[in-house]
Amino acid sequence: MFFPKSMTEVELIVPTKDLLAVTNVLGSRGVFHQIDSTYLGLVNLGPSTWQEKAAAYSTLERRIQVILQALSMEEDYSAATSFNPSVDLDVIRSAVDRVEGEIKQVSDHLNAEKKRLEQLESQLVQLEPIADVNFEVGALTQSRYLYSVLGILPAANVSRLETSLSRVPHVFFVLREDSQKPVVWLLGPRSNSDVIDRAVKSAYLNPLVLPDEFTGTPVRVSESIRRSIEASRQEISKFEAGLAKLAESHHEELYQLLWDVHAGRITADAIARFGQLRHTYVIVGWVPSSDLDHLSQQLRSVSREILIEARPIERAGQHANVPVALRNPGLLGPFEMLVNTYARPRYEEIDPTVLIAITFPVLFGAMFGDVGHGLVLALFGGLLAYRAHKIASLGGLVIVCGLVATIFGFLYGSIFGFEDILPSNPFFKQFFWMHPIENIIATLGIAVGVGVVLLSFGLLLNLYNALRARDWGRFFFDPNGLAGLILYWSFLGLVVAGAGGFIMHQTVPSFVFAILIVLVISGALTGVVFSEPLKRLIEGHRPLIEGGIGIFAVQSFFELLEKFISMFSNSMSYVRVGAFAVAHAGFSLAVFVFAGLASAGTNMGLGYWVVIVFGNLFIVGFEGFIVSIQTMRLHYYEFFSKFFTGGGSPYEPLALPSARKN
Amino acid sequence: MPGGVSGYAAISSRVRARFSSLLTPQDVTRMSDAPDFASLFGALKNTAYGPYLDSLKDRDVVPRRVIIQLKKRLADSYDSVIQMTPVETRPLVKQLFRYFEVGNLKAVLRGIITVSAWGPETVLWDRVHEVLFPLGSTSRLPAQAMVESGSVASAVDLLQGTPYQETLSFAMKRYSAEQNLFALEVALDLGFWRSLWAEAGKLTGQDHEQGVRIVGSLLDMNNLMWAVRYRVYHKLSEEEIVNYTLPVGFRVKDSDIRAIAAGADIASIITRIYPAIVDVNTFLEDPQTGLPKLEVHLKRQIMKQCLSALVGSPFHIGLPLAYLVLSDLEVQDLIVLVEAKSSNLPADQYRPFLLKTIMPA
Repeated sequence: MFFPKSMTEVELIVPTKDLLAVTNVLGSRGVFHQIDSTYLGLVNLGPSTWQEKAAAYSTLERRIQVILQALSMEEDYSAATSFNPSVDLDVIRSAVDRVEGEIKQVSDHLNAEKKRLEQLESQLVQLEPIADVNFEVGALTQSRYLYSVLGILPAANVSRLETSLSRVPHVFFVLREDSQKPVVWLLGPRSNSDVIDRAVKSAYLNPLVLPDEFTGTPVRVSESIRRSIEASRQEISKFEAGLAKLAESHHEELYQLLWDVHAGRITADAIARFGQLRHTYVIVGWVPSSDLDHLSQQLRSVSREILIEARPIERAGQHANVPVALRNPGLLGPFEMLVNTYARPRYEEIDPTVLIAITFPVLFGAMFGDVGHGLVLALFGGLLAYRAHKIASLGGLVIVCGLVATIFGFLYGSIFGFEDILPSNPFFKQFFWMHPIENIIATLGIAVGVGVVLLSFGLLLNLYNALRARDWGRFFFDPNGLAGLILYWSFLGLVVAGAGGFIMHQTVPSFVFAILIVLVISGALTGVVFSEPLKRLIEGHRPLIEGGIGIFAVQSFFELLEKFISMFSNSMSYVRVGAFAVAHAGFSLAVFVFAGLASAGTNMGLGYWVVIVFGNLFIVGFEGFIVSIQTMRLHYYEFFSKFFTGGGSPYEPLALPSARKN
Repeated sequence: MPGGVSGYAAISSRVRARFSSLLTPQDVTRMSDAPDFASLFGALKNTAYGPYLDSLKDRDVVPRRVIIQLKKRLADSYDSVIQMTPVETRPLVKQLFRYFEVGNLKAVLRGIITVSAWGPETVLWDRVHEVLFPLGSTSRLPAQAMVESGSVASAVDLLQGTPYQETLSFAMKRYSAEQNLFALEVALDLGFWRSLWAEAGKLTGQDHEQGVRIVGSLLDMNNLMWAVRYRVYHKLSEEEIVNYTLPVGFRVKDSDIRAIAAGADIASIITRIYPAIVDVNTFLEDPQTGLPKLEVHLKRQIMKQCLSALVGSPFHIGLPLAYLVLSDLEVQDLIVLVEAKSSNLPADQYRPFLLKTIMPA
């Protein structure tokens, strides 16, 4: 739980005859993270036929998807069983050809009819503006001296068309204004018909062309078109019913084909990335160590001659290329999401999911402590988790934060901003700790104290990570390493000793000051000023100082300055936990003031309760949002930056849908 | 996110830093002196393109793959600039990026027409895929499905829900009648540049001024080259040239385009607009080789406009736009070099097409 799953690097040598069976086992177990091992193969064997096969499967899969779309069927892999590698590509192709042929016949008719309907509707639209003109539509094309074009064109081309005809006499009417497809009528001398035609064509004007059966005045033609539209709609319904029938009859076959092709594609894609030797294939990848035995057994059961070489990877050292499979219980999913949003842990470092599952809700709850507000938030989270599946994780996070805020609400004695109800109840009184707004200094002090503890814990975790990675330079001389920790604690000691003397008039023995100062100086020198040269020394890199002494001195000075500022500001950042706890109560007070004004000081009546309800909703929404951002900030910028590097590669096992289901 | 100083503070400092990663004319000249493709590749690995080229395995160090990697860096530059750009001006940068999507769409349509006779569908997609600009997940084109659909009409049907569906709906009628991609390609070009100009027009203040300057300069080059090519190459009529060009731009006016369409002297018009380009008649004598050279000169004018965005206040969209356009032109230079070196072309045949060896006056 505190570390990613232990991984083993696996190299398989598989005889060509067992290739498909082995790939099938790898795909159906869903635990093998494949690495491209084509570089291990022989280069003179020519291009892999598996690449072509993968492409062929991909094409077939796309064709089946198009068929499913035409039949209004969802993509479904419920037919997923174990993949049968003996199904021949040609057999699948001919089955797809046959089904596609049957469906294409009907769907082509349907599409043609839909296009016809679209055309008829467009013709109707073009005739509407001249519906009240009493003339023969056909006469437009039969005039002896005039050349006329009626039609639609892209709205953006209207003015350019007019411009293009500037050298020939013409009349141009926009019969129907439309932001997309205006209807226009263009008239000019027949002697210029070639110029007009070229202009019309190049302006993408689609002229109204009426079939021969539509003759007469615009009114009569429109009526005929309407009748045709009705008939066309009936035809479309007929074809759609035909497709529905086909969907029913081919339902099972299509899903089986989809599964075969999909599994074939994944298998071929995987094999194309194996290294091909003369009679064998080399397969390289990663498997979680816990799954290795079972996988090996299954592989040996399908291939007696398979060679399996497994190299377990220790956590010590640097392992940037090892895929990272986190192993947190499902309940921690929302927090794993928070961690992954920052970065995926590396193989050798601590997965902070469990830590953040504790600290995130606690810091949030401390800032948002109110029984009523917490419960409303938890309810909202429940609604998100239940109704919005895509953000169910977020819902889970909101539930936990809401519940912890409720607990802090009992400690702060606050329910919907009323701070006297819970402390006056004999039962709830025993849980009451303090009202933050009445103990501001104590609240802020405790918050900073919590921050110091968390930051120190972060530094200790960094030491642990460095130790495991055997990164001694980072362990001893990193600003967040041992030297950094000594510097931080001695710096804090100095501040506390100084503050103790100044504020509480307590005398701190001078030897304590002397020890602290020595520690601060040695921490600063080893963890900041000479951090890089010392790291380079321990790692055997030369030169120890890059860019000359002058630049090094200037850089060190500013780094030291920045270090002291950041130690102070990092710790003080946590003061916001207390500040928000106080502000939360302050917000509630403001709501009560407004409610009092709304009720003219009586503190009762409809106006009072309306302000109370909406005020509380505002607090939950507005402050809940701000507090969640602050909590995230404290984790990402203050806490994680102390120990969490991230940058691990994701574990993406080869998985056929049947394995994914399992 | 607000515009002005607060909106551009971060992006302008980051983009200014990125300007330093652009190749200098000296870098390009040095690369053009590389004796062969392998040396050029080695030199490129020491530039900002290095991380993109490092990922290539030895057997993938071929011109086609190298060019894709160079384009990938450009795509990533667009992507990161889009993320950093203030909300008000982001649509303009996004639309500018769509230029490559339009190019991909045209390549897909050409692929369907020209390559379909070469072999089975699987090979066809591979061939088309390797000439597409690597837009990654930012593209909404169902490119593979379009290629596999086997016909232009079915491919265009797959564009439902994209901005191209409306543009092509009118042009498809002409394509059905003429069976020539010209109508579709012109419609796509006009649609793209109209939208880009409209986005620039929506901006205000300095953003508008700089947006119009850079987008207008790009539009000037395209409009001018369209008009010249339609007249010189395609021998189109005046009304067709007018309809296939746009009445907007930065320095090139509609009256200039209409004059070219009407048969006026092209050289005098271009020299009047760009006094620095003097030998236009030489280019027009042999359009086959001359027009690409004219285009190079016009591209240098664009570079000049881009560099002028660096002068004065940096808190406007001009700086990111200039960086992206200059990056694009730089990649064009590098593609010229990669292709020239891999085909062992003599220097005098490719050097005139390099933009950066001679900086604009």
